[in-house]
Amino acid sequence: MDTVNVQDLTVNDLAWVIDYHPERCVLCGACVATCSFGAISFVANKGLGSAQAKKGQGTARIVVRQSTDPSKICCGCGMCEKVCPNRAIHPVSNPQSREAFVNQAQGPRRRGGRGNLPKKRTLDAIFVGRISQMTDPPLDAERHTFDLRAPLGRVLAADKLPLEVSGQSLQISASHPPVAWIYPLIFSDMSIGALSTRAWEAIAIATAYLNEECGLPVRMCSGEGGVPQNLLTSDKLAYMILQIASGHFGWNRILRARPLMRTEPAGVLIKIGQGAKPGDGGWLAANKVSRHIQAIRGVPQTTLHSPPNHQGLYSIEESVQKMHLSLNQVFGFRVPVAIKCAASSTSVAVYNNLLRDPYRICGGFFLDGLDGGTGAANTVALNHTGHPITSKLRDCYRAATAQGLQGQIPLWVGGGIGMNADCAADAFKLICLGANGVFVGRILLALLGCVGNEHGRCNQCHSGKCPTGICTQDLRLVQRLDVDRGAENIVNFVLNFDQELKKLLAPVGNSSLPVGRSDALITNDWAIAQSLGIAFAC
Amino acid sequence: MRHIETLDGHKRMSTQALLQTLEAAIEEGETDFYIHASGQHDIGGPFWNRQGKKLHFFLTNPGQRVGAMALPETEIVVQGSVPADCGWLNAGGEITILGDAGDTAGHCAAQGQIYIAGHAGTRSGSLMKKDPSYPAPELWILQSVGSFAFEFMSGGCAVVCGVDCEGPVLGQRPCVGMVEGVVYVRGRLPEDAQLHRENLNEEDKRFLGEGLERFLGKIGQMALLPDLTDWRNWQKILPAVHRPKATLSLADYRRTRWIQEGLFSDVLPDTFQSVGLAAKGQFRLRIPVWDNTSELRHCRDCHKCELTCPQKAIVRKERSDGSAVYASLDKACLGCGLCQSVCPEDIWRMENNAELQAFSSLDQEEPSAPSCADASSAEG
Repeated sequence: MDTVNVQDLTVNDLAWVIDYHPERCVLCGACVATCSFGAISFVANKGLGSAQAKKGQGTARIVVRQSTDPSKICCGCGMCEKVCPNRAIHPVSNPQSREAFVNQAQGPRRRGGRGNLPKKRTLDAIFVGRISQMTDPPLDAERHTFDLRAPLGRVLAADKLPLEVSGQSLQISASHPPVAWIYPLIFSDMSIGALSTRAWEAIAIATAYLNEECGLPVRMCSGEGGVPQNLLTSDKLAYMILQIASGHFGWNRILRARPLMRTEPAGVLIKIGQGAKPGDGGWLAANKVSRHIQAIRGVPQTTLHSPPNHQGLYSIEESVQKMHLSLNQVFGFRVPVAIKCAASSTSVAVYNNLLRDPYRICGGFFLDGLDGGTGAANTVALNHTGHPITSKLRDCYRAATAQGLQGQIPLWVGGGIGMNADCAADAFKLICLGANGVFVGRILLALLGCVGNEHGRCNQCHSGKCPTGICTQDLRLVQRLDVDRGAENIVNFVLNFDQELKKLLAPVGNSSLPVGRSDALITNDWAIAQSLGIAFAC
Repeated sequence: MRHIETLDGHKRMSTQALLQTLEAAIEEGETDFYIHASGQHDIGGPFWNRQGKKLHFFLTNPGQRVGAMALPETEIVVQGSVPADCGWLNAGGEITILGDAGDTAGHCAAQGQIYIAGHAGTRSGSLMKKDPSYPAPELWILQSVGSFAFEFMSGGCAVVCGVDCEGPVLGQRPCVGMVEGVVYVRGRLPEDAQLHRENLNEEDKRFLGEGLERFLGKIGQMALLPDLTDWRNWQKILPAVHRPKATLSLADYRRTRWIQEGLFSDVLPDTFQSVGLAAKGQFRLRIPVWDNTSELRHCRDCHKCELTCPQKAIVRKERSDGSAVYASLDKACLGCGLCQSVCPEDIWRMENNAELQAFSSLDQEEPSAPSCADASSAEG
């Protein structure tokens, strides 16, 4: 028998323990075959008689065994459970886990997804407490018509619009910033590379379908991982917000495709930071930079780091003058250009600066909160950096209202929206607190089939071994993903979101989005009431 | 005929006093009333004569809800216009307004007839409904109705004659949420209205022909009959066919409306076929290798791998010298490694399978089965 040392691992040291019932196992092999992490394998049980059995004397008892090899650790994804015909196997979260202390030798720990400790969310302590009853008429969510549109673009105050009286009507007499009125839900920026081609395409198909078949002008943000040439030269580009982050990946090809474009994109989003790893740049492990990713991004196979800041961008003013001006210029000042930052203690200062921008070319301020996180990131960043979105949004909105500038640079917020699957409720509350719209990413992955969650299930987005084919470039895994079913789930989600949003608008009596109508909200938390300036109720 | 004067100098009879007076008089057998009202509400219903005789009300200057909740065998005629809610919840009365009606005329009417000799206000005819046990309600309007008319209408019939109307005869957003019933309209409709419109059929013309004669008779406008029975100017609005939930499947959308061959056809053509979580052949994550080259261990030809393989993917061939060669068929093998675990000599070894370089079409997948010769040469 090999010597077992104190530091050797046993299954009970791991975060997930495979609960296996050999009496139900039919040895079909599906669980072992499907496990992309190699965390389980068949072994001859070293039980009584089996040593002889291995030598051909007697019957070996073959069982499924969980690996304790640190490179083959079970992440609880549960694919084994899915494929088992006899409910003989499933992973169980292990409260005795010492896994956080394992693997320290392999450098900073990484994962996908956000905080793993379930915590009470601010939005869950807020309720829509102002119901129109005797005071003013509520609406009928099913039968009344609603105007659910949000601006993307710099909205000028009425007295700043270049209006002239011409005969009996007002005419716009000079050029003015472009404003697109879009659906208040944006599919957030997840790059090709972070996502598999299929996952990205499924989201793109769902976006186009929602526009063309359902009449909902939903926009998708490309992320910064290149944009397919087929899309750049297609009419469907009109639904896409192109992203430029600090790596500028793919922009060479976007610019080369510029003369070939048949339509212009829905917008440009300058990414300064993201909620999953505030203050850190994008990071794509070499194992995901497969041949087609190299082709799409125009990069060699190597781990791709985006710097934490835009090189050559050292101030807010410079960001406006350089990034906004230049990216407005790419599309002739006809396409709104917005900016996305991770929520931070400094967000209000940034927003104030943007509001004072004399060029009036910032078309939106996207704030990504603490709970955001589709991106693979360092665990320490995921767990310990960032700023909750709700109060930061509120601060920004109130800073704007104090100057009478609210609504001029649309506030879009994301970061954990719909974590609890109540996406419409989250969106409604944030809109009442001053958001114009919300962006979501994580929920789209869940709709595609991602099993990752806040309780530490899977979240292996960084590993290249995503068992659902969503966050990997291993085509054997990617080909598991059914594009059509994934896209259908997203479409159905948005149709439900639309209905549920109306169900919340109706009792408040608004037929358009109640931006800043914080009187509609109450909270049972005194501190939240004080912080957000909404009514306390108990 | 009971005359009731509701004003005595500067003293006005309250609504409650008037209604209690009417109830008492009806109880005493009075059936005909001439009421010179001064804005009293709810005149007209629900009243009934114990012998089933018809009640007649002739009113001037009433308040809101004339004929509200009126019962059958109640006839109400108002000289002039009325404020909101005339004929609200009408349960069978015949109500004639010889002037305009305010908002929500005929709201929730479920039976009876309401005749309006002028315009009717917003939300008129909203929530009209038909009780299957009784005749359907009718709402006749000589001129136009305001916005949100016939909202949530769920039965009955409304007729808007559009007489002397220059603009649209229905206001904005008519018939929102209408689920049953019919609205006949003569004249122009608002431009942005999303309505299910049809031309009149013979049954419609017969109904309108008879009804218009009765209506115009009630309001003393028979001279309009020839004009109004020119059916070319009429159309009818039926409940909007519920916008069908998008029926094009996502798969069909992708095939017919999406970018042909998909987004990535230039760098990574996709088959859009998906494989199961435990797939065979080239989709396997790991593959078994039968390696009998070791100096120390030799296949003892025990058949265990062949017998236990859940996919029956392992084949055994005998060479001329009687020794055995085992191989795993790619197209059947899942890569589960059971063969490795049962092998008493560790001849089977699991290796990582090569990643695919392109998406694979399942139809064309024809992985080659290793032959005995291949295995033999592999053995060296």
